[in-house]
Amino acid sequence: MDKVIIGGGQGFWGDSNDAAIHMVHTAPLDYMACDYLAELTLSIMARQKIKNPAAGFARDFLGLYKACGEEAFRKNIGILTNAGGMNIEGCVDGIRQIAEEKGMHGLKIGYVTGDDLTADIPRLLAEGVDFKNIDDVGDFNEIKDKIFNANVYFGHEPTLACLEQGANVVITGRSTDSALFLAPCMHKMGWAPNDWNNLARGIMAGHLLECGGQGAGGNYDYGWRDVPRMDELGFPIAELTPDTFTITKAPDCGGIICEQSCKEQFLYEVHDPANYITPDVVVDISNATLTQNGENRVLVGNVKGKPRPDTLKLSIGYHAGFKVAGMLSFAWPDAYEKAQYAAEIIMKKMKRKGLQYEDIRIDYIGLNALHLDVAEIDPKEVKDLNEVVLRIAIRTKTKEECAKIVPEFAPLQLNGPPGASFFGGRAHIQEVIGLWPTLIPRDALHLKSNILEIK
Amino acid sequence: MAKIYLNQIAHGRSGDKGDTSNVCVFAKDPKDYELIKQQVTPEKVKAYFGDMVKGEVTRYEVPSLNGFNFVMKHALGGGATHSLRLDSLGKSMGSAFLRMKIDYPDDAE
Repeated sequence: MDKVIIGGGQGFWGDSNDAAIHMVHTAPLDYMACDYLAELTLSIMARQKIKNPAAGFARDFLGLYKACGEEAFRKNIGILTNAGGMNIEGCVDGIRQIAEEKGMHGLKIGYVTGDDLTADIPRLLAEGVDFKNIDDVGDFNEIKDKIFNANVYFGHEPTLACLEQGANVVITGRSTDSALFLAPCMHKMGWAPNDWNNLARGIMAGHLLECGGQGAGGNYDYGWRDVPRMDELGFPIAELTPDTFTITKAPDCGGIICEQSCKEQFLYEVHDPANYITPDVVVDISNATLTQNGENRVLVGNVKGKPRPDTLKLSIGYHAGFKVAGMLSFAWPDAYEKAQYAAEIIMKKMKRKGLQYEDIRIDYIGLNALHLDVAEIDPKEVKDLNEVVLRIAIRTKTKEECAKIVPEFAPLQLNGPPGASFFGGRAHIQEVIGLWPTLIPRDALHLKSNILEIK
Repeated sequence: MAKIYLNQIAHGRSGDKGDTSNVCVFAKDPKDYELIKQQVTPEKVKAYFGDMVKGEVTRYEVPSLNGFNFVMKHALGGGATHSLRLDSLGKSMGSAFLRMKIDYPDDAE
């Protein structure tokens, strides 16, 4: 049949596996794609791999595969994921072990290598690539010796190549989230790589699915109270035919698919809707439509595509210092005044100890730590706040500077204004990872599609 | 003319890319699209957020969805893990945005 049905199984590294397992059980899927990589994830994985060479990929995917991989294989549901992160082979090996234990003979694991350009930076610099920051800030020379990872956001090509070789599972590193969905659509529907309008539809299917529950009533501003059975939230599923593009979800699960839920995800993290740039196609959704077409079914229309860009985005993670946040809670009466006084005490002590920081924030959780400057503060209500949590966060060049403030919170339980309560143990100093987005020519990248078959 | 919160007539969601925050805003009722267009200008958004948004604010219109996409640069306290904000990814930028007050005509029911 001239139709492809694909589900979104994960929204990020750390997401619940429940909806993915449920859709493999109950939905007539051709494919399920699972996105694990947010902007910072690869840098975090690179740091993990330095400490432990067996780490560096989204191990959670192994748990998901253990739970529903065999069933997916039996039902011929292809699974695609960027869970490989910074250690593709490690992830492939984990899947191989599961497949062998379960006797999944004939399973073909496709995997894509070559997106990590960390070691190629000196050569590319010598070849004249300027690594200019696309946000137009900073000087590359200042970060080039502090790099953790440099990964290219790549499109559908190597994933499609794996599918063409019969892969049942495809594991990649920094494939764009949406290309994990586009590649199987192209494979099933036979779309050409310059069929821009169809490619744009496949990308938008991916875009609506790549955040998992957020496309089916999770994080839903319009009517969160009306979302049925949020404890069993289903994740979205896309059905594409040559003429139609429908968003729906699996039978017998919670969540909602309606115009408003689709709208909120439609423009999520898009910049210019007329030029949504991906490695595969420049998508134009500036005249797109979303129309309810049955219960939990929304038709997506008028998605257009334009030729793909000549360059690819390279995301470089680099060491950018350290940070730490300490907290203390205070109760009525005068909770806010006491918290402010405690902040003043800590900062006076820090001044005496010569603390050098790059940035600082002093916020009051319960009052203004989320809405910051636009939080409304009514002095009368503030006077009667039941409780508030003081939070002081600093960013420093060295770990030693951060360490100066860490022991200063707990003592205020005995040495400060009354009723201060310290919780959660001493604050952990975190390494700050900076991101340097830049563009590189397509020919700087040499990806390889591999297949491992379970005998 | 009544002062109302934007969230009474609009809904939306915020996302992040580095230090850039985007908030998409949709009229709950299509009849309010023009009113939002007139009142929620990029200049007004920039002034509303003050120091929270240090870079430029761009507004893209998507009339077919009765919506807008606002892209705000240098809006997340440095982005990535530079940010010291409790909400470093700006998940609550959407509700902060929709807390803006606008003038709503009394006869517009």
